[in-house]
Amino acid sequence: MTAAGSNSPVLSTQALVAGYERDLPIVRGVDFSVQTGDFVVLLGPNGAGKSTLVKTIAGLVPVHSGTVLLGGADITAMPSHEKIRHGLAFVPQTENIFATLTIHENLQIAANVLPKERRNDRIGALYAMFPDLGSRPSHRAGQLSGGQRQMLAVARALVVEPSVLILDEPSAGLSPKIVSEVFDRIAAINDAGVTTVLVEQNVKAALAIADRAVILVEGLVAHEGVASQLADDPIVAELYLGVRHTKNPVSS
Amino acid sequence: MNPQALMDGLITGSMIGLGAIGVTLTYSILRFANFAHGEFVAWGAYLALVVSGALGYLSGSLLTPIGPFSFGWSLPMAAVIAAALTAGLALLVDAVLFGPLRERRSAVIILVMASFGAALTLRNLLEFIFTSQPAYYTKALQIAFPLGGGLRATPDQLLTLGVAAVLVASVHILLTRTAIGRSMRAVSENQQLSGVVGIDVRKVIRMVWMLGAGLACIAGVMAGLLVQIRPQMGLDLLLPLFAAAILGGIGSVPGAMLAGLIVGLAEALAVQLIGAEWRSAIAFVILVMILLLRPQGLFGRPE
Amino acid sequence: MILDLMAYGAFFLTMALTYAIICLGLNVQWGQTGLFNVGIAGFVAIGAYVSALLTTPDAPGRFGGFDMPIAIGWLGGALATGFATFLVGALTIRLRADYLAIATFGVAVAVQLCVLNLEPVTGGPFGISFIPRPFASVAGNPSLFSALNLAVLAAIVILLYLALERLARSPWGRVLRAIREDETAALALGKNAVRLRLQAFAIGGAIMGLAGATQAHFIGFIAPDNYMPTLTFQVWAMLIVGGSGNNRGAILGAVVVWGIWAVSASAVSTVFPTEQQARAASLQIVMIGAALCAILLLRPRGILGEVRMFHRVGPATGNDQPPDPPVNEPLHAEKP
Repeated sequence: MTAAGSNSPVLSTQALVAGYERDLPIVRGVDFSVQTGDFVVLLGPNGAGKSTLVKTIAGLVPVHSGTVLLGGADITAMPSHEKIRHGLAFVPQTENIFATLTIHENLQIAANVLPKERRNDRIGALYAMFPDLGSRPSHRAGQLSGGQRQMLAVARALVVEPSVLILDEPSAGLSPKIVSEVFDRIAAINDAGVTTVLVEQNVKAALAIADRAVILVEGLVAHEGVASQLADDPIVAELYLGVRHTKNPVSS
Repeated sequence: MNPQALMDGLITGSMIGLGAIGVTLTYSILRFANFAHGEFVAWGAYLALVVSGALGYLSGSLLTPIGPFSFGWSLPMAAVIAAALTAGLALLVDAVLFGPLRERRSAVIILVMASFGAALTLRNLLEFIFTSQPAYYTKALQIAFPLGGGLRATPDQLLTLGVAAVLVASVHILLTRTAIGRSMRAVSENQQLSGVVGIDVRKVIRMVWMLGAGLACIAGVMAGLLVQIRPQMGLDLLLPLFAAAILGGIGSVPGAMLAGLIVGLAEALAVQLIGAEWRSAIAFVILVMILLLRPQGLFGRPE
Repeated sequence: MILDLMAYGAFFLTMALTYAIICLGLNVQWGQTGLFNVGIAGFVAIGAYVSALLTTPDAPGRFGGFDMPIAIGWLGGALATGFATFLVGALTIRLRADYLAIATFGVAVAVQLCVLNLEPVTGGPFGISFIPRPFASVAGNPSLFSALNLAVLAAIVILLYLALERLARSPWGRVLRAIREDETAALALGKNAVRLRLQAFAIGGAIMGLAGATQAHFIGFIAPDNYMPTLTFQVWAMLIVGGSGNNRGAILGAVVVWGIWAVSASAVSTVFPTEQQARAASLQIVMIGAALCAILLLRPRGILGEVRMFHRVGPATGNDQPPDPPVNEPLHAEKP
C-alpha cells in the first residue's frame, strides 16, 4: 500500500456543516481530504458523525454550509444519483442492496449509468471478480447471506469504476470470520487502485488495512494520522477509540 | 353464478383492475394512498369525450362505426390523446401539490389529505364544466350476440376485455423486463438507495404518474363506452380501486388486475343475489375482509 | 329587521357550533393522535340516525321510533358512533396509516348506502322527519326558541372544550402526544400505544356522533343527502384552518369556514340563475378544495394554528419544520 501524499486530493470537504435538522448540525465544520489511491478509515465514538459525514458526501444529508469537492469540482449540491456519474460510489451501512430484485438486476441498475456498450462487459468483469455472485445471477438478492449481501453491495458500487469508493461500516452485523473476508476484499480493491474511504467501529481491523485514519469526535476532526502509528498510540486509542490496552497501562 | 353475471363481472373487473394498477404503482413508489386517482379515471373519460367530439367535428368520417363496434375511429384516437392529456394532468397535480409536499418530507398522511383535497377539486371542476348530466361517446345501441354456454356480449364489451388484457400484459412486461421497470421496482423498495445507485428518482416518479394516469384514462374511456360518463364516476370507483389494490398486494401489477377481476365478479354476484342497490357495498366488505385476514394482500410482502 | 338579523345570527351560530363539535371530535383523532379519518360524514350520520330512531314518535311502516327523551337519543347516538369507530379502528390501527383512511372512507360509503337502502329503518332517500327539537314547547316564540337552542349548543361546546383540554393535559393526553411525535416511544409502549390510539379514535368518533345527533335535532329532519363526502371535506377544512391539535382553533375554524361557506352559498344563489346553481355550487367546492391544498402547502400549521397551549412540534412528523435546502432528499430519511 502506498500513501500518495503529494497528489492533490481526489475528494475533500471544506468547513462542512450538515445534519437533518437545521438547528442541529451533526457534522459541525469538517475539513477532510483523501488523496488518489489512498485508503482512509474514519473512526470515532458512537454519534461522532462519521456516518453522517459520508452520507452527506454521498448527497443523503442536507448540507447547511461548506463544500464537497470531487476531483476539484464542487459537488456539494449535486443530487446523489448524479454523484455516481461523477465517480463517487457509496455503499450504505444497511439496506444497501435491492432485496426484491435478483443479483443480476441489482448490477444492471448500477450499470445503467454506463454507456450501453460497456454495461455487459462491466457486469461480466464483476462476476469474474466475485464468483459467488456470478454463479447465481438470477438469485433474489434478499436470499443472500450477510457477507454475500455486502459483496453484492460492493460489486454494485464498483460497476461504474468509481474514482472514490465510500463504505459505511461494511462489517456491521457480520461474524468475525466474514468480517475479515470482507476486509481482505476491500484491501484488494484499494490495492487495485480504487481510492477508498471506510467508516468503521471495528478499530483494530480497520487500522490494520488502512493507510491513514481520521478520528471524528462530536462532529469535528479530532485527530488524524498514519494508520499504523495510530494503532500503536495508546493515548489516542484510549481517548478517542475506547481501545483498552492491558499491557503498559498509562499511569496518571 | 349465471353466465351473464360472469360477463358483467369480468368487464367491470377489468376496468377496476386497470385503475387499481395505477393505485398500486403510485402507492408503492410514492408511498401514499392517492384519493385523487379515481378523478384521473373521470377526467380521462371526459377528455376523451372532448377530443373525440373535436375529431368528429373536423372529419365526419371518423364517426362512422368501425366494423361491428358502436364507435368510429375518433374514439380510439381520442383515447390515446386523452391518455397523454391525463398523464399531463397527473404531472401537473404532482408538480403543484405532491412534489412540494415531498420536498418538505411531509408525513404520509399529509399527502393523503392533499390527495383528498385534490380529488374534491378535480371532481367538482368536472361537474362545473360538464354538469352532472351523464354523457355518452356514442348513441348507437349494440346487440349482444351469444358466445355459447349462455354467455352473451356486445363487440364493444369483448374489445374492452381484449384491450385490458393487452394493457396488463404490457405493463407487466414493462416492469419485469425493461430498465425503467427495474428502476421502478428499485424505487418502490428503497428510494434512498435508488438515488445512491444512480437512479433519478424524480424521473421514475414522473413515469409512474404518467403510467398510472394513462391506464386510469383508458379505464374511464371503457366505462364511458360501456356504461356512461359522469363526474361522479371516479368517486364511485375509488373504493373498488383501493380494495383491489390492497387485495392484490400493494406493488403487484398482476395482483391488482386479478383482484380487480375478483372485486368485479363479486359485485356482479351481489347484484344477482341481493340487488343492484348494494353493489357499492361489496368493495367495502372485501376491504374489511382483507384487512382482517390478510392485510398484505394476495401477492404482497408482509410488513 | 334587527330581530331578523339576530334570528339569522342565532341560527347561523347554532349550526356552526354543531360543526364545532364535529371538529373537536376530529381534533381528538387527528390533532391529538394523528389518525386520519376520511369518513367523517359516515360517523356523523350514524349519530344522527341513531338519535333520530330513538327519539322520534312511533312511525308506521318504519322500525322505531322509540319516542325517548332527546338526551337519551344524543347519548345513544354518541355511544353507537363511538362503538362503530372503535370497530374500524380495531381493524386498521395496527396497519399502515393510510389503511385507516381508506377504511374510514369505506365506512362513509357503506353508511351512505345503508341509510339510502335500509328504508324500513332509515326512511331511505326520504330520510326521517319529525325529529323532536329541544324546547319545542316555546317554538311559538322564535327568538326565545333560537336563543335557547344556541345556549344548549354553546354549553355542549364549552363543556366538551373543557373536558378535552383536561384530557389533553392528563397523563393520557400526554402519552398520546408522545406516541404521536416519537415513534420510538410508540414502539416502546407497544400494545399500550395501540390501545391508547384506539381509545382516542373511539372518543373522537363518539363526539362526532353526538354532533350528528344535535344537528339532526336542531334541523328536525335528516336525509342521506346531508351526509355526502362534502361534509367530511368541510370539517377537514375547518380543522386545518383552525390549526390541528388546538381545540380553540377547532371551534374558531368551524365558525369561520361555516361562515365562508354560508356567504359563498348565498353569493352563488344571488349571482347565478336558478338553473345554473347546482353547477355554481360545485365551483364553491372547487375553490375551497384548492384552498385546502394551498393551506397544506403554505401554512401547514393552519391559519389560526399559532394560538397554542403547549410548546410542541407540529402534527405527526415535522412537516412544518422549515424546508431543508434542496439536497436530494429521501422520503424516509433514516436518522442516525
